Amino acid sequence: MGVSKELFEKQVLGLLGPLQGVARRLTRNDTEAEDLVAETVTRAWRARDTLESEAAFRSWLFRILNNTFISDLRRAGARPKTESIHADETNEDEAYFSVFEQVHQPFLLWFGNPEQEFLDKLLREDLDRALATLPEHHRIVVILSDLEEFSYSEIAETLEVPIGTVRSRLARARSALQKLLWQQAKDYGLGSEESTRDGEKPCPQAGEQSVAPSARKV
Amino acid sequence: MSNKPIDCEQALSILYDYLDRELGEHDHEAMEHHLSVCKSCFSRAEFEQRLKEKMKSLREAQPAADSNDRIKQLLKDL
Repeated sequence: MGVSKELFEKQVLGLLGPLQGVARRLTRNDTEAEDLVAETVTRAWRARDTLESEAAFRSWLFRILNNTFISDLRRAGARPKTESIHADETNEDEAYFSVFEQVHQPFLLWFGNPEQEFLDKLLREDLDRALATLPEHHRIVVILSDLEEFSYSEIAETLEVPIGTVRSRLARARSALQKLLWQQAKDYGLGSEESTRDGEKPCPQAGEQSVAPSARKV
Repeated sequence: MSNKPIDCEQALSILYDYLDRELGEHDHEAMEHHLSVCKSCFSRAEFEQRLKEKMKSLREAQPAADSNDRIKQLLKDL
């Protein structure tokens, strides 16, 4: 399809904030992030004939950003931590860690609400730190899904992987993120041994339930 | 997934698809129904939703002024 210079400029300027934000989170360095965005825009203009439709502009531009970032890492001698499709689809145990399951105490409601307490005490810095600690292939899916609100299909287009891989990679990334947040919380003294639960059934099976939670939507 | 009620294991397996608005209509309705009758799954979904909102608050939508000028100049020079 290609794109006119006018449309290209309009689209890039409209996406500049998110582009810079994602670049900063990938590089973890403001100067490198600025360079990455500039390089991305230059490469995108050169590759403008590869744009298939105007609707695909966002995933196309972020694909170039991510690929440029990975190329830069390789050029700098770092080996990006990538994950094969096979690895994404196996090792289910590793893909599952939930802070909620660590702190939730359904039968001790009079002690307050530990999971809400965990969230209330969670600071922006904690999230920033945990996100920055994730390996690149996990960080990018969390950024695209949770921060930029890309759909799974847009993420699949951006990262050039099947949607199933997006789903499994996202599950593993979120699990890893929660592990890091949980570790930070424990370092701060939250989540003592008394508040962890092992082996408790998460909730009763459908059909056995009689407790209706509040009518409000999640 | 069919229209019959889902159990907790099924609900947890599609929880993120639900929160990410990736479920089809039938699965979405089945999930909503399950959350309306299962307090434990509702609490879990509420927790994950709040965590997701906190993550979203990290988003930087506005470009930094300096960088903005640099890109504008770059676009002019293309």
